[in-house]
Amino acid sequence: MGEIWLIIKREYWTRVRKKTFIIMSFLGPILIVGFIGLTAYLSKGNKNNYEILVFDEGKMFDGVLRNSEKYNLKWSPDDKNYEEAQELFKKDDNLDLLLYLPSNLIKTNSMTAKCLYKTIPSSSAQKHLTSIINEAIELYRVNKNNIKIETYRAIKTRVNLDIIDVENQENKNIQRKGIIGFIFAFFIYFFILMYSVQVMKGVIEEKTSRIIEIIISSVSSFKLMIAKIIGVGLVGFTQFFIWISVISITSIVILNSVIPDIYSSSIQSQGPLTVNSGESAQIIEFLFYQIHWPSMFIFFGIYFIGGYLLYAGMMAAIGAAVDEETDTQQFLVPLTIPMIFALSMISSVIDDPSSTLSFWLSEIPFTSPVIMLVRIAMGIGPSSVEIWEIILSISLLFLTFIFTTWLSSRIYAKGILSFGKKASYKDLLKWMKS
Amino acid sequence: MPVSNIIQIQDIHKSFGKHKALDNVNIKIKKGSIFGLLGPNGAGKTTLIRIINQIIEQDKGTVKIHGELLEKKHVYKIGYLPEERGLYKKMKVGEQAVYLGQLKGLNNKEAKQRVKYWLEKFNIESWWNKRIEDLSKGMAQKVQFITTILHQPELLILDEPFSGLDPANSELIKNEILQLKKEKTTIILSTHNMNSVEEICDEASIINKSKKILDGKIHDLKDKYTNNKWTIVYIGNKMSFTNAVWGGWKLENHDSINEKTHVATIELLDQLKISDFIKGIVNHVEIQEVKKNSPSMQDVFLNVVNNG
Repeated sequence: MGEIWLIIKREYWTRVRKKTFIIMSFLGPILIVGFIGLTAYLSKGNKNNYEILVFDEGKMFDGVLRNSEKYNLKWSPDDKNYEEAQELFKKDDNLDLLLYLPSNLIKTNSMTAKCLYKTIPSSSAQKHLTSIINEAIELYRVNKNNIKIETYRAIKTRVNLDIIDVENQENKNIQRKGIIGFIFAFFIYFFILMYSVQVMKGVIEEKTSRIIEIIISSVSSFKLMIAKIIGVGLVGFTQFFIWISVISITSIVILNSVIPDIYSSSIQSQGPLTVNSGESAQIIEFLFYQIHWPSMFIFFGIYFIGGYLLYAGMMAAIGAAVDEETDTQQFLVPLTIPMIFALSMISSVIDDPSSTLSFWLSEIPFTSPVIMLVRIAMGIGPSSVEIWEIILSISLLFLTFIFTTWLSSRIYAKGILSFGKKASYKDLLKWMKS
Repeated sequence: MPVSNIIQIQDIHKSFGKHKALDNVNIKIKKGSIFGLLGPNGAGKTTLIRIINQIIEQDKGTVKIHGELLEKKHVYKIGYLPEERGLYKKMKVGEQAVYLGQLKGLNNKEAKQRVKYWLEKFNIESWWNKRIEDLSKGMAQKVQFITTILHQPELLILDEPFSGLDPANSELIKNEILQLKKEKTTIILSTHNMNSVEEICDEASIINKSKKILDGKIHDLKDKYTNNKWTIVYIGNKMSFTNAVWGGWKLENHDSINEKTHVATIELLDQLKISDFIKGIVNHVEIQEVKKNSPSMQDVFLNVVNNG
């Protein structure tokens, strides 16, 4: 046991102290959060304030159309017609949009207003304009019909449809949860591949530097292989925990500074008649209350261990079979194809997480780490994945890894002492048998 | 079984697929001796060494160390310097030597002390924090030698320890080997360098085509392959020398040192004795020196490998 521990320690410390590890540990999650933040920022549109020229044909919207700092409305002079208003809009660089409200807009229920632009307004700006026009028309009609605003609010509805599992009523909107599952699946793919390849590289390093013969004159090759796999796996876990911590801290910091904004902006933009709770608040509710994070992390841990052990053993065998890294391609490709296939199947799984396809992909050990996380994210229960399926999948994964590790160790033991020739699949088969 | 044998190799067979690497090899090695393991490339030496190191397992036969069958605990008693040297290139000298020492059963503190001792002894204590990749090949060899003997093995297996070393470092390592012998370390020296075998080995065995074909004390091996060749330095003329004794010998070589002095190498055939030969020539030439040509290990090696 002593020497296994020594090797684990060496494998762990030499990697954790590397500059690339330290950089990856902190830069990786910051990049991820930053990337998500950037996408959100860009999709918000880079325009903060809109100067909008309003051409109100029927002269009915003045004082009714809600004005705000962000969407600053200017009224086209009364003496100008629509064409002249357009000329004015074109000439004035400060104006971003021209809103044309035809005179019959207020009379019928399905008229079209027009918005002319120089550069296309963001979708949120488009939404905002639509909502203030609707609001204005509704307010006009409320007044015209002598209805109290309170009465109107009580009548006005905005319905959200939650898709809910009858057996487990807490479990709703599972498709949306699938997105979280997708993120986890991508991470597990990334971690399994990255760290099992590190095992392979470690084996190649020992083989090409020829220190292998000295090490295996002290410990058996099997112990060396197992210790290396454990040591590198611990590095993976360390990196994962650092990532989770950094991601949590940065997102809390970012959310703290952004959430009040989202809330206040969605509250501010509510006029006297709007009753929708705001999309951002819904996302926050979803992220904080509908995703069961502890089980996501626990199953990520279990499937990372299982998937990593499954692949690391085989990667060690590949490393032992070759003399240099460039020779590994022919063996790596067939090994990574199942994982890439699993990634490509995620959208079908999200579509129907309890289908036969989803079942098999989450039971077969080579794809299960990726697919099962998607199904688990979508909720444990009859609508997505049953407990027994998870237990079976984990058992299959661990049994398979024991078998592949045993096979790999046979290839490994022969491979590390075979120098100067590129092993073929035939050689591997021979080594397995002997 | 006599206690003085540290290693006893009995009926070892090992095949790789159809290729027979070792065929019924028997070797005994006395404690505290330096044992030469000789043989051409591919003869099976490395396979035998790997079996002793428990890197691979024999198909048949036994290896005993101190009379006990070889098992895991014995790796701590063996030090091994493989022919293909290797260290972790990115690891620092000190850290790496301590790690390898610990793998051979030393605790951290012992290992550190001993690495320090050896680095100081070789005057390279400043290398502790250097990476192996920053050392020259010869420097790395020194570090490698230190890591091999750090745990004070009872049995030291050195595969071509002098290859790649400059004469000064060669001498340094040779002296360390002799010093270790004085401290009762048994050493197996696998090499092609016959001079070093003659210089430092007590016994040797020659393996050829997976079989052991010869073993014994160096002295006995040379005697066994001795030939009846003599070198005679004389003053006089060549004709008088060659005609002095009629038959029973052969002139192998004749050189002149100067106009009058010559060196002849002769081989005595049949029953002719050197004293009779000298009696025959003593009245014709003036004898300066008579010396028996004993065979070198090189001769023995070539003789058995080519003719056996």
